[in-house]
Amino acid sequence: MRRLLAGLTAAVLAGSLTACGSSGDSGSEGGVDQVKVGVIPIIDVAPIYLGQSKGFFKNRNIELTLEAGQGGAAIVPGVSNNQFQFGFSNLTSLMIAQSKDIPIKAIAAGVASTGEAGKDFGAVVVKGDSAIKTAKDLTGKKISVNTLKNIGDTVTRESVRKAGGDPASLNFVEMGFPAMPAALAEGQVDAAWVVEPQLSAIKAAGGREVASTYVDAAPNLTVAAYFTSQKLLADDPDLVKRFTEAIHESLTYADAHPDEVRAILGTYTKIDEKLRAAVVLPKWPTQINEASVQTIADLGAKDGIFTKAPDLEKLLP
Amino acid sequence: MTTARRGNPAGDTVLLGVAGLAGLLLIIELMPRLGLVDERFLPPASRIMAALAEEAASGAFWTALSDTLVAWALGLAIAVAAGVLAGLVIGSVPALRALTASTVEFLRPIPSVALIPLAVLLYGTDLGSTLLLVCYAAFWQVLVQVLYGVADVDPVAFETARSFRFSAWARIRHVLWPTALPYVFTGVRLAASVALVLAITAELVIGSPGLGKEIAVAQASEAVPTMYALIVVTGVLGVLINLLARTGERRLLAWHQSVRGEVSA
Repeated sequence: MRRLLAGLTAAVLAGSLTACGSSGDSGSEGGVDQVKVGVIPIIDVAPIYLGQSKGFFKNRNIELTLEAGQGGAAIVPGVSNNQFQFGFSNLTSLMIAQSKDIPIKAIAAGVASTGEAGKDFGAVVVKGDSAIKTAKDLTGKKISVNTLKNIGDTVTRESVRKAGGDPASLNFVEMGFPAMPAALAEGQVDAAWVVEPQLSAIKAAGGREVASTYVDAAPNLTVAAYFTSQKLLADDPDLVKRFTEAIHESLTYADAHPDEVRAILGTYTKIDEKLRAAVVLPKWPTQINEASVQTIADLGAKDGIFTKAPDLEKLLP
Repeated sequence: MTTARRGNPAGDTVLLGVAGLAGLLLIIELMPRLGLVDERFLPPASRIMAALAEEAASGAFWTALSDTLVAWALGLAIAVAAGVLAGLVIGSVPALRALTASTVEFLRPIPSVALIPLAVLLYGTDLGSTLLLVCYAAFWQVLVQVLYGVADVDPVAFETARSFRFSAWARIRHVLWPTALPYVFTGVRLAASVALVLAITAELVIGSPGLGKEIAVAQASEAVPTMYALIVVTGVLGVLINLLARTGERRLLAWHQSVRGEVSA
């Protein structure tokens, strides 16, 4: 029996070693490029899942693997050390990385605000019976954002500033989006900066929107982008070009086919059917709205998010 | 040990265990129904079970379950093999033991989760990340037990073996190993539970494939009943792994006095 155990252990060990050895890097095999993309399992990246199922990448000899790691924190390091060839990240995070001289380059727009107040995919919400009626009333209140010193607090401050409140008085606390509906309901925070699907869930439970932050920050704000490393751009410009074309086709297709977007959400998220039908979909233009990125950079600089000003020339395509 | 003793038949223990579980389910069913907690955040047990049935009907769930089990088994196997080997070597050479003692005491308390940034840098969101955390946490459990086991060897028996000119290998095989074996099993049992905790944690935080990742996706998708359903699955896994480890320990060590003694007591 013991010998059997020892044998088994040895077999498992040997198996694990070969398994580790064979999980090789991506590369091109037979003219097809194996590409790993770091994404977040949220609505924003629906176009790339849709494009994958429509064959927009395969047509261009790209075999796509989507790595939906939890949170975006792993994506920028993953792209800069070539575990992922491409990644999806919000622009503030990309600008923070750029200002720290991490060699990355945005290649295509990722997701954009709808530009319509009250009908956007991100907003500051309060409980139905809250005394807070407008963005100005947020002055001095406790507001949850998913990441401190990032796009959430920047755009919320701008909403309050534009409404005539004091942006410096806001008390931001960090918590994950999924925790916000409960925190708001229990009164742990006065207001929450959320995105879909939590936004629709909170509204369905009687919550009220007080500021369409992305709309307030800049017209047609580009919120996030697909990006790659400067190294890949230099080594294999053809792959980057083909990937960018496929992304553009995916974005255009997704923007024109909201029903298919709602359907594909069921494959990589667990958002139930009712909520899938209710969520506000973002816009998916192909071009990064550079003026809006500049605005976010300036606002971020004002809030002290960057240690040194990001170089948009180097970051944007 | 939870084994049945005289005057307390096994049937009763099982019955009580089932009753306890049923009571827990009833409480979870009633709390949201009575309005004690908001059912948006803790759905009643019946809805959690419905979500569980729905998950079990999907292929993605079984893939995630096998991913988690593979990560657990591989991580545990590597940790046990490395832990036993290192334990026997370090334990049988006093100089080596003195040399490594402070290092082991320094490395052992480092929580595996603190290594997440390192795991992500080295392996991204692949299985490797999970394995790193699992192996690190499980390794120390085994190593420390094996060190105790080796230290427990009867010096007279060891000296006797030496005077009978047993070879070094025979001394390990016939004196050291049988003494250390119960400790090894304790180490394996502890490591098995720790390995599961770390596998789920890694998947949850890093997003490497497995049940933990599915929990994170359910959470991000506002699919609260599904999230609880998956958490229930991890709990069941924990129970099964513990049962397996205890049964294995009893069966394989049936000859040893540490097990024999308890049964005849």
